[in-house]
Amino acid sequence: MAVSSFKYSSPRAEKARIAVSLSRSRISLLVLCVAVFIIAGITAVVFGWSVGWVLIGFSAIPAMTIEWVGGELRDLKPVDEYSSIDDVLSGDVLGLLSRKPTPYEVATIVGQVYGGQFFAVRFGIGSGFLQEISSKDATDTPALWEEAMTIAKLTGSSKVSAAVLVVAIIKIYPKHEALLAHLQLTIDDVVAGVTWQNHIHDVIEQYKKPKRTGGIARDWSFGWIPTLSEFGQNISTNGSASSVELEAHKEALDQLVHVLSSNGRQNAALVGPSGVGKTEIVYTLAGKLLNGLSDVPANLKFRQIFLLDAAALISAAPGRGELESLVNQLLNEAYSAKNIIICLDNAELFFEEGLGSVDMTTVLLPILQNSDQQLILTMDEQRYLKVSERNGQLANALNRIAVAPASHDETIVVMQDHLMTVEYLQNVTYMYQALEEAYRLGARYIHDLAMPGRALKLLESAAGYSEQGLVTAFSVQQAIEKTMDIKITNAHSVDEREKLLHLEDLIHERMINQTHAVGVVSDALRRARAGVRNQNRPIGTFMFLGPTGVGKTELAKALADVYFGGEDRLVRLDMNEYVSNDDVTRLIADGADEPGSLTARLMKQPFSVVLLDEIEKAHPNVLTTLLQLLDEGILRDIRGREVSFRDAIIIATSNAGADRIREHIERGIDIEKFESQFIDELIESNLFKPEFLNRFDEIIMFRPLKKDELLQVVDLIIKDVNKTLELQKVSVTVSQDAKEYLVDAGYDPRLGARPMRRVVQRAVENTVAKQVLSGAVEAGGTVEIRLEQVEALVSSKKTADGIVNESTVE
Amino acid sequence: MFLVGILTWWYGDGWRERAVMVGGRIARSNDYFSVGLLLSTLFSPFRQISAGRVDGSFATQLRAIADKLISRMIGAIIRSFMIVFGLVVILLQAIFGGVVLAVWLFVPLFPIIGLLMMVIGWVPSWR
Repeated sequence: MAVSSFKYSSPRAEKARIAVSLSRSRISLLVLCVAVFIIAGITAVVFGWSVGWVLIGFSAIPAMTIEWVGGELRDLKPVDEYSSIDDVLSGDVLGLLSRKPTPYEVATIVGQVYGGQFFAVRFGIGSGFLQEISSKDATDTPALWEEAMTIAKLTGSSKVSAAVLVVAIIKIYPKHEALLAHLQLTIDDVVAGVTWQNHIHDVIEQYKKPKRTGGIARDWSFGWIPTLSEFGQNISTNGSASSVELEAHKEALDQLVHVLSSNGRQNAALVGPSGVGKTEIVYTLAGKLLNGLSDVPANLKFRQIFLLDAAALISAAPGRGELESLVNQLLNEAYSAKNIIICLDNAELFFEEGLGSVDMTTVLLPILQNSDQQLILTMDEQRYLKVSERNGQLANALNRIAVAPASHDETIVVMQDHLMTVEYLQNVTYMYQALEEAYRLGARYIHDLAMPGRALKLLESAAGYSEQGLVTAFSVQQAIEKTMDIKITNAHSVDEREKLLHLEDLIHERMINQTHAVGVVSDALRRARAGVRNQNRPIGTFMFLGPTGVGKTELAKALADVYFGGEDRLVRLDMNEYVSNDDVTRLIADGADEPGSLTARLMKQPFSVVLLDEIEKAHPNVLTTLLQLLDEGILRDIRGREVSFRDAIIIATSNAGADRIREHIERGIDIEKFESQFIDELIESNLFKPEFLNRFDEIIMFRPLKKDELLQVVDLIIKDVNKTLELQKVSVTVSQDAKEYLVDAGYDPRLGARPMRRVVQRAVENTVAKQVLSGAVEAGGTVEIRLEQVEALVSSKKTADGIVNESTVE
Repeated sequence: MFLVGILTWWYGDGWRERAVMVGGRIARSNDYFSVGLLLSTLFSPFRQISAGRVDGSFATQLRAIADKLISRMIGAIIRSFMIVFGLVVILLQAIFGGVVLAVWLFVPLFPIIGLLMMVIGWVPSWR
């Protein structure tokens, strides 16, 4: 008989149907029957009625039924030598199947039992979804059973559970990949769901198993520890010891057991970045040592781990002498007790001077070198290197165990384990998509922790953004948006969508023309916010070329202001400050030493416009450093941490070839036709390497502004002046001929529109100042500036040139 | 099916599981009274009292040895008492478990026994 067949009348199927018919309420009724029969029987016998024996005797029938349900029916074991699907189907599904089940019927049933409900909550794959994709033809069912068997084998499931059937129903649907994509899932994710459900089942079973903890006489052979009990934290007995051993920690845990059980220096330093799970390994070891059934060597069995906290010790003994004496006392007590392992958590605090730390090397080094007192130290990788550099003897005395950050799969498992506690404490339920999103966004935005710590941190903070108790991928996105002030979710609000659709108009409210540049930048942002861009690159990388004063920097500022939330979102680097090879270090310096470094600023503010001004002046090695940033949106800082630029727009500006651009425009050549030739010329000039220019999404040429555009610039400048005068309740208007005069006086072909701002501001602001002081204009009034007044202030070209030259010097 | 199923399980896996359960309870009691551990450390100093090495004059060392001996004796007495007490509890538990396992075999017969008892008409007399 093939496994694809289904025998409705098999003994196992019959038992499953009996189990289904004996619901929990019926079992309660049976319990009541037993109680009533026995009480009534005994009462009858006591009163001398022999019919009581019958009642007592017949109470055995419901009592046996209850035992049978609990002992066999509730969790029907699969048949080892299976011949048909009913031999391995989980009882809750099997008991509900009809004689000739269709895939549609199976889909309906799995929605009613635990495994199916697990998928409905954790993945958003409910019974309705499964019914939609299921056939109502019973001849399709054997294929479903075949697929289910394959998945059960793949996931190591002992039975074909409802969860396995959910995946099988999805998998036999031909377009399942596209369907799952709508739920941000892949087939591997749903298969992982079966493993997750099995894992929860295993953890619960493991938890139910009786513990062997040594009993009441366990500690009778070991010494009193009054001081340790006061200052240390016994993680073995205070409930923090972990009973779950993670695959990710297995290697480090085995090494730890080996070091602590072998002869020689019985100390181990767990070294790894913060968040990697060093303390968690110690908690797991504590649980393992106290479990009489675990496979630890006899000399470690029932040892207890005491955690010493540097801050608590310092506060208890503020003076150095007192502290040294206290630490000595604690270690002596531990040694004499003969069953204590001391753990110095964040041990670097015991080896360096500073706030909240004190150098105890003189006390600890001899113990680490010579004593057989078992010690575990947990240390941050960088701090360990610093301590080792300063004190080679200390490094030699320690048995270092490296704890590496967890991989993607390991992190997901760690999160699944933690969820059991987090969900209980926060009263929420996490979806699988939230876990994946926490991993993805944690890896991208959280820099101060390693995996799995960074994903866990994010996952926990996402609980505060749950909707009706359900934590989704969107909750995780919101958590990171609020805590890091960035935008990750696709544009949802009407306001934001409107803003994106009319981005060009908004930008043009503060800058004139350069429509091509404005257009490509706006498109990049729209792509990003619609979720259709490449997530592994910056939002956009652009090089703006053109003469000075044509709006290159202004566009970056306008973008920061209009979309990114203010001009303070502009991370501006004047690349003429990065002209030597040594400046590379400054560019990627640690935020603690150089808060203004590019990496430090992006760590604080990943959602920004990065403006690399006058890029041609930077040292070639600086440009080489920027290659990875432009290509992958990643730059490693001096500590080797990956800093993400994937939520930033990178704009590099350059005046290179400005004269050539102006010359071509003056000759009436269309700038767009000239673009590729110009880039070739730029490469030939050796100013930029081809691989550097190739990294930009677009190289955009800004052309000098024409007179009518400059008049619009004058209007913008006057608008700015009016904004400044708002406080005085005074406004300014400038006549058309006066504006034209200002354009003529302020425009310099070498410097573009920049000096014109100074000329206009000088002329307008001086006039207003005089009129306000003379009382010619009062609050609520309007100052009208005419040609004569402008001429009087900027009387000659010479005066204007003076102002222009001032701005050149600036 | 119901009757066959329940009786097959009752005299097969059901009885075996019950036996495992009884064994588990005995193992738990054994762990609780730590009989093995107590035996292996029967003469160890109790709570490491006076267990450390003492340097000094011959008289001091002699006193230390005496102290250690007393500590070991106290330990041995307390442990022996606990071993005996533990063994008694474990034995009682084993007997009770055995009775349960034996009674288990007769439970399906209870309705028949009840009927027989009614037919016989015997009831305990309280006078």
